[in-house]
Amino acid sequence: MLSIHLFNGLVYGALLIVMSSGLALIYGLRRVVNFAHGALYMLGAYIGYSVALRSNFWLALLAAPAAMAVVGLLLDRYGLRLLQDREPLTVMLVTFGLLLILEDLVAFIWGKGNHSLFTPDLLDFPVHLLGHEVPAYRMGVIAVGALVAVGLTLWLRLSKIGLYVRAASTDPVTSAMQGVDTDLISAVVVGLGSALAGLAGVVAAPFLSLSPHMSSDVLIDSFVVVVIGGLGSLAGAFAAALLLGMVQAIGAVYMPGVSVLLPFIFMIAILICKPSGLAGSRT
Amino acid sequence: MTLARIGVLSLLALALGAGIAGLAGSGSLLGVLTQAVIYAIFALGVGVLLRQSGLVSFGHALFFGAAGYGMGVVLALDWMPAEAAIPVVLLAIGVLAFLIGLVIVRVPGIAFGMLTLAIGQMAYLLAFRARGLTGGADGMGIHWPATLFGYSQSALLKPATVFLIAWVSMVLTTVLLLFILRTRFGAITEAIRDNEERARFIGIGTTAPRAAVYALSAVVAGIAGILSSLNTGFVSPENLHWSVSAITLLMVIVGGFEKLAGPIIGAIVYVMFKDLLGGYATHSMALFGAALIAVIVFSPHGIAGALERLYIRLRHGPGVRRESV
Repeated sequence: MLSIHLFNGLVYGALLIVMSSGLALIYGLRRVVNFAHGALYMLGAYIGYSVALRSNFWLALLAAPAAMAVVGLLLDRYGLRLLQDREPLTVMLVTFGLLLILEDLVAFIWGKGNHSLFTPDLLDFPVHLLGHEVPAYRMGVIAVGALVAVGLTLWLRLSKIGLYVRAASTDPVTSAMQGVDTDLISAVVVGLGSALAGLAGVVAAPFLSLSPHMSSDVLIDSFVVVVIGGLGSLAGAFAAALLLGMVQAIGAVYMPGVSVLLPFIFMIAILICKPSGLAGSRT
Repeated sequence: MTLARIGVLSLLALALGAGIAGLAGSGSLLGVLTQAVIYAIFALGVGVLLRQSGLVSFGHALFFGAAGYGMGVVLALDWMPAEAAIPVVLLAIGVLAFLIGLVIVRVPGIAFGMLTLAIGQMAYLLAFRARGLTGGADGMGIHWPATLFGYSQSALLKPATVFLIAWVSMVLTTVLLLFILRTRFGAITEAIRDNEERARFIGIGTTAPRAAVYALSAVVAGIAGILSSLNTGFVSPENLHWSVSAITLLMVIVGGFEKLAGPIIGAIVYVMFKDLLGGYATHSMALFGAALIAVIVFSPHGIAGALERLYIRLRHGPGVRRESV
């Protein structure tokens, strides 16, 4: 009984990894708490839904992140770059305004009702795992989360541009003086982070329902993850995402009355003990 | 602002309220205005926290909703007369907020905002769960007694009367805040906002004053919550949702938070604008989003800041700089 809940916790944790790694990357570089991230997640899900209905799920899995990468590049070039000298609060509220606009746009294009996306045929079978039957699709979600975590870590640690990203996140001014093109780096990071939000949306579409309000819950959970992990820290976000998924899963079994409160209680407890989060904030 | 000026301005404001109540004949317009004034008080609470402590709350709907639920529960269980319940509920909100504040104001910057968001959402989910007490998703009706402070309910709930009650509450709250912020307490909190480390060097404890500002702002939001429960006779979990906090913060920023008048202007503009658009466009939130971005980008000090600049330019001619922020 418990193991199936742990499995579901792992699935949600994987989704949160994909979602919050984008948030953490963008915060690390731009120092922006990006409310629009939730809107990009939602747009990714809806675009994935439309593409999957017309062709197939696998094309949607490519198209949604690609479309969101373009939106991210525009957001960086015509939003964050122009506002980079303004107060963080100001920029945060601009992204909140963007969230309102995009939520209405989605309601306008796809209607206010709920939609759901079919599970792709290739993964539409049960898998036997530790004496339980689990949908293969959910195994796929865990795999995506793991791929994103490993891929991002290797990219940041091993590639040259990864080095630049780490440098620019630590100190953008000094990095720029050393010849790092910080505008290019932040375009790459915001584009990639937005693509990850789109990926999270399309991956979530077959098991969470689509509605113009779908962004709110996942966005708040992702904020919780990024804050618990230590703002801007990727490794902290990975650990916090898995912990949060597990806490929710175990809470649903042993404390069903308060399970919805657990993420918040968890966050408050961690921040009171360690105000800068698990990994410690770089700010 | 000098004392005489505060006195004159508040008398003018009271007269303006009476004038609006007299002129706005139609009940529906007065209804919208009442809602605008209630939100103005709510926004004043969120704004005073930002202005005085530099802290951004994404969870003040907690106090707005808690005031409504507090009144609803106290009146339903018949613990005390409504006249006593109002100050008791406000005091309880202040104490609760001070205790929460003592814990969360230690966490700096964005994380503070996220903590307020988390605590607010917890209250929202709790109100959903506690069906027996709060009616869950259906919300709860608030059973105001037949007479309040000696006036019959039917007299009190006339649109013009409700509007005047809200308006007078708004003016009194503003005046009270002006006085509180003029005291040593106001100076201490500004010092902490501007440089916490230096404030500590000169021997000021920094946690309690900030928690006190948090409590003060919560009580102001609570006043708005009680007025809202009087106006609608109803409270639901929607009152506690984080989007209510975020919209209120939006009013504060659009109005400008550096002056106490800013949040009031922002709230009134927001509610009036929403009502005007509501009949024509179903996608009013997108327009707000766009308006929010436009105001933030082009007028960083909000509507109040823009008006002040205009006033200075009219008075002193072009080329004169703003002296104070």
